[in-house]
Amino acid sequence: MPLPRSSRVSFALRFRGVSWLAALAFAGASSALGQTPASAAMTQYRSGIEPVLKEYCYDCHGDGMDKGRVTLDQFASEEAMLGNHELWLHVLKNVRAGLMPPAKKKQPTAEQKQQLEAWIKQAVFRVDPKDPDPGRVTVRRLNRVEYRNTIRDLMGIEFDTQAEFPADDTGHGFDNIGDVLTVSPMLLEKYLAAARTIVTRAVPAVSHVPVEEEVPGRKFARKGMAANGDALSLSYYQTNRVTHRLPVSKPGRYQLQVQVTATEKFVDNQFDYNKARLGFQVDGESLVSQELTRENNRVLRYEFDRTWTAGEHELAFSVDPLTPDQKQVRSLAFRIDSVTVRGPMDGKHFVRPKDYAKFFPKDPPKDRKGRRVYARELLSSFAQRAYRRPVEAETLDRLVAVAEQTYSQKGATFEAGISQAMVAVLASPRFLFREEGVDLASASGAGHPLVDEHALASRLSYFLWSTMPDAELFRWAGEGKLRANLPAQVERMMRDARFEGFIRNFVGQWLQARDVETAQIDSRQVLMREAKPDPDFEAKRARFTELRRKPESELTAAQKQWMDEMRPLFQRRNSQPLRAELNGELRRAMRMETEKTFAYVVRENRSFRELLDGNYTFLNERLAKHYDLADLGVKGDELRRVELPADSPRGGLLTQGTVLVVTSNPTRTSPVKRGLFILENILGTPPPPAPPDVPPLEDAAKAMKEKTLTLRETLELHRQQPLCSGCHNRMDPLGLALENFNAMGMWRSEERALPIDASATLLTGESFTRIQDLKRILASSHSEAFYHTLTEKVLTYALGRGLEYHDVETVDAIVARLTQSGGKPAELFTAVIGSAPFQKTRRAGSGNPLPKETSAPKGGSTPSQP
Amino acid sequence: MKTSQQIAAERHFSLSRRHFLRGLGASIALPAFVSLPALGASGTASKLAATATGAPLRTAFVFFPNGAIPSAWWPGQEGADFALSQTLKPLEAHRNMVQVLGGLDHREAEPGPDGAGDHARGNGVFLTGVRLKKSATDIRAGMSIDQAIAREVGHLTRFSSLELTCDSGRGSGSCDSGYACAYQYNLAWSSPTTPMAAEVNPRLVFERLFGSGSHGERRTNLKQRQAEQRSILDFVQAEAKGMGRRLDARDREKLDQYLTGIREIETRIAKAERFGTTVDPDLATPSGVPADYGQHTELMFDMMALAFQTDSTRVASLLLAHDGSNRSFPEIGVSEGHHDLSHHFNTEDKIRKVAEIDLWYAKQFAKFIGKLASTKDVDGRSLLHNSMIVYGGGNADANRHTHSNLPIVLAGAGGGTLNPGRFVKHGSKPTSNLFLSLADRMGVSKLERFGDSTGRLAGV
Repeated sequence: MPLPRSSRVSFALRFRGVSWLAALAFAGASSALGQTPASAAMTQYRSGIEPVLKEYCYDCHGDGMDKGRVTLDQFASEEAMLGNHELWLHVLKNVRAGLMPPAKKKQPTAEQKQQLEAWIKQAVFRVDPKDPDPGRVTVRRLNRVEYRNTIRDLMGIEFDTQAEFPADDTGHGFDNIGDVLTVSPMLLEKYLAAARTIVTRAVPAVSHVPVEEEVPGRKFARKGMAANGDALSLSYYQTNRVTHRLPVSKPGRYQLQVQVTATEKFVDNQFDYNKARLGFQVDGESLVSQELTRENNRVLRYEFDRTWTAGEHELAFSVDPLTPDQKQVRSLAFRIDSVTVRGPMDGKHFVRPKDYAKFFPKDPPKDRKGRRVYARELLSSFAQRAYRRPVEAETLDRLVAVAEQTYSQKGATFEAGISQAMVAVLASPRFLFREEGVDLASASGAGHPLVDEHALASRLSYFLWSTMPDAELFRWAGEGKLRANLPAQVERMMRDARFEGFIRNFVGQWLQARDVETAQIDSRQVLMREAKPDPDFEAKRARFTELRRKPESELTAAQKQWMDEMRPLFQRRNSQPLRAELNGELRRAMRMETEKTFAYVVRENRSFRELLDGNYTFLNERLAKHYDLADLGVKGDELRRVELPADSPRGGLLTQGTVLVVTSNPTRTSPVKRGLFILENILGTPPPPAPPDVPPLEDAAKAMKEKTLTLRETLELHRQQPLCSGCHNRMDPLGLALENFNAMGMWRSEERALPIDASATLLTGESFTRIQDLKRILASSHSEAFYHTLTEKVLTYALGRGLEYHDVETVDAIVARLTQSGGKPAELFTAVIGSAPFQKTRRAGSGNPLPKETSAPKGGSTPSQP
Repeated sequence: MKTSQQIAAERHFSLSRRHFLRGLGASIALPAFVSLPALGASGTASKLAATATGAPLRTAFVFFPNGAIPSAWWPGQEGADFALSQTLKPLEAHRNMVQVLGGLDHREAEPGPDGAGDHARGNGVFLTGVRLKKSATDIRAGMSIDQAIAREVGHLTRFSSLELTCDSGRGSGSCDSGYACAYQYNLAWSSPTTPMAAEVNPRLVFERLFGSGSHGERRTNLKQRQAEQRSILDFVQAEAKGMGRRLDARDREKLDQYLTGIREIETRIAKAERFGTTVDPDLATPSGVPADYGQHTELMFDMMALAFQTDSTRVASLLLAHDGSNRSFPEIGVSEGHHDLSHHFNTEDKIRKVAEIDLWYAKQFAKFIGKLASTKDVDGRSLLHNSMIVYGGGNADANRHTHSNLPIVLAGAGGGTLNPGRFVKHGSKPTSNLFLSLADRMGVSKLERFGDSTGRLAGV
């Protein structure tokens, strides 16, 4: 089976100008001298690597020094040294990122660095570029999102997994990592219950049902007026009566279900003691007459049976206020939701349920044998789709037995039997987990085998769509031609609407864009930092707060009186409308701005660099106003692509509301969090976590007691501490560059009446005065680091596992392609999908070394050796 | 077609939370349990999770995040004459049923060789007492004490244990310093690799305990659900078996988790038959997760009280919020995040705000204790008398990330086996010692050691 173009390229050797360590010379040398790979590695170590380490690293990490608990010359044996993949991966990453040796120390030459890099990859990791270790993915359970989407595509209904299932654990920043997707007994119980609920909702249990008609509240009208089509809400405070005349064509018994919600508008600490009588009448006969108080948005449901003649019947709701003198605080009201009318309840008027044909293409046969054949036919196609793989005969036998056991019971329908079997399928581990098979043809070869076509279809669909494969993928996989048609299929999938699944889940987690909808931000406090300081008012408020904390018995009369005088002042301030509020609508727009920006770059195959420094973004009217871009003339709720004015500080992910908000504290910005975010998610060089015992700032701050420090000054003070400077010198400049954006993502030029200074110098030497410059710097001289980060994130997400030492070569190859193409998304996706870890699997039970990084693989035992 | 009774029941449907709470403790007639040994009966049965009178003995573990400001937490004077401190003041009404335990540590939560990650450890070590494997994916903790107890006494009740949380939102991205998120969001672990995900939705807790639908129809609904489950269980077990043959060892671990869950459900069905009809409290089902955090915690505490009162379980845990939680508390005028504030660098204003948050949590807990105190158990004593409730956190001073002298309170009289109404300083003992002492009282046998225990905690 030929691999797609991408993987062939990614396997190609890529050693740029490394003379003495070219991979071929490597293999040649070891075999010519009759050396084992390990002894060859040691020879190279002694001659080329150790001297470099000695010269540049041992000052801190050798000769008895172990800064950061890292030593490079303390190993129990040569084997232990070569087997410590974790350590060498650490070395590789730090040297590549330019973090080691530290900037102020003597630096190795570019060639020396490349030697070291090549030695680690070839001699220590022993990556075989022709057949790299594809790694091991633990069998993946569907996470909440995948489960919901899979149910949507399989059953045609929405099931709210967010509300019904516990949150999935995340690993490596994503919630689709096989290792951490556990199954607790409670979750299993929920899976069983969900399977039942889903099938009950989606699959008709009978072939005929009474006609059902829902009369929405908006169809009811006040006397003499026409219904105006709006949702109908009746106040507790006014007498009201609304009616609807329902035409009934067939006489008979009918069932009525009435739903009303008792609504209120929440007002803090104030209650509403009003009462009203809610009435419901049919043809003038009172069926409900109930006295109700404030009901906390309770849903009221009533059910009645009526025998009706043909003709019109009048349904009516009435409200009579009972407490005319009470204060009206919370706008209490009854929202008339609906009246559902079902009937006539006589079998001869029954109809086919909605969606019947979707699950049952024909009427069930009457005879036992015919039913069994039909059941097998239905369940075979259902189970194959649900398991996303071919299903063997024994499973089908068992499923038919489950169905038969139910439908052969007295009074049970054929449909109920099939439903029961479907519940069993949805509860099966083969639905909940993504089982993968091995391609038999390639399994007989020498290298790592490919996963089979059905597994590939699922890997593709859950990667690009967060859901099960569709009919077309199933068809190609069934014919064994998916790999042959891969480029076209990937292209099709990325154009499909379901690609939104990737955008939302990947971007939502990589950039934490999802979190903007729930991040706690106190708009009033944030905006106060930008208002003109009012020391008098602040002093009063501090005093007031202090007094309020005291028990009332301890207060003097004068204090009480002062508080009473002040109270209206604060209340007035607190009830003043804010110039901006980070409400749900705005948060949603922010999330979509980020998603749409990413989707645009990918769909249009622009350069990923535009994510850092694009001259456009996606706005609706609300967001444009929030960004001070109202004069661009964006109207309405729909977000659209907008070209930004030349030199706008906006454009690119970093100045979008999502990033700015999720990296802020509830009341203010956090340059540290913002800097950390950029290091982690853009540049891929996260600093180590802060030391456990952070030294207190106050000693240093004492000298400045008279002066309130700005955030910038506080951080400067902080960076003077030697313990902090190492990492904060990297984080703070990046974060400070974004100081012109407050914790709600709004532009500002001052904080506490002082102008904001966003200038800084990066540890890598580049200076800038404003965010526009920083973006340019990142997009030009740091684009490869960005591609590297993005590649690692996408690959992690695609594989459902953390990246390991043996993935270094795969990542490097993808980054090289991406860089060469100028950052084209199509290259990234093709390369990831074509890569060995995505296409292949470690053979089960083949004695592959488990990823225990501390144990040295014995020479020759790795199956990747040809 | 519905009967008029059912329609009447519908009308009761989803009474407001207010009504629900009013009902608690007052209107539930405790059903007679077949599983309860006759009061006063002697013999081995009564020793397992039972008091001397034969009434059920319960234990619960309630976790609050980010430690507590020590100066506001600790009482001044030791012994029975202690005065409750500022933070624990809300427990005043039940002072004689509360022990403040000083000098309990969780050494395994300290950095040791693992470096940063004190919140993940504070949370994950709290009930396990073991060192957590520092890894984002290869999770390895230890069985938690509630599960160790549930393993032995769980068969006595319909649910061997109950795991609850009030943490509904979970951020994206990585968790604390390279630790898997599982450590930080779970208290209970049924094995070193299986965290017991906790339920956040009060409605779902209620339905799990008593069945769905409204009062009067829950019993039927629950029964029907279980009958249907049985036919499914046989099928999925056969499927799992076939699948197990095709998987490698590490994948089989996942499948084992699945099978463990299946066996639990089978046990539950068997228990339902053994215990006869289930309880159906005359209460409305809560409608979901309230937007208000205070209401949410109160409802979850109510669910726990209800589960104890109806003897649906004798072991429970509740995570009020994960360690490191950065929730702000606008309801008490604290708009900054809890975690950020807890690194207060000795700033007075921040210390005060954190202490107010500590107090807020203590108030929620005190309401729960109040409910247990005012609810009568089968033997005429209060539920609180027949319970052992641990309330504590996995960080002591969150400003410095210390894990010794943890803020821990033990409420209840353990059916008369505890000696509450005191402030006791235990020197410096593993918290696991306390857990062992509680497990002893629950009748757990053959638990020689737990976590990092060095022995039993004397003088509780």
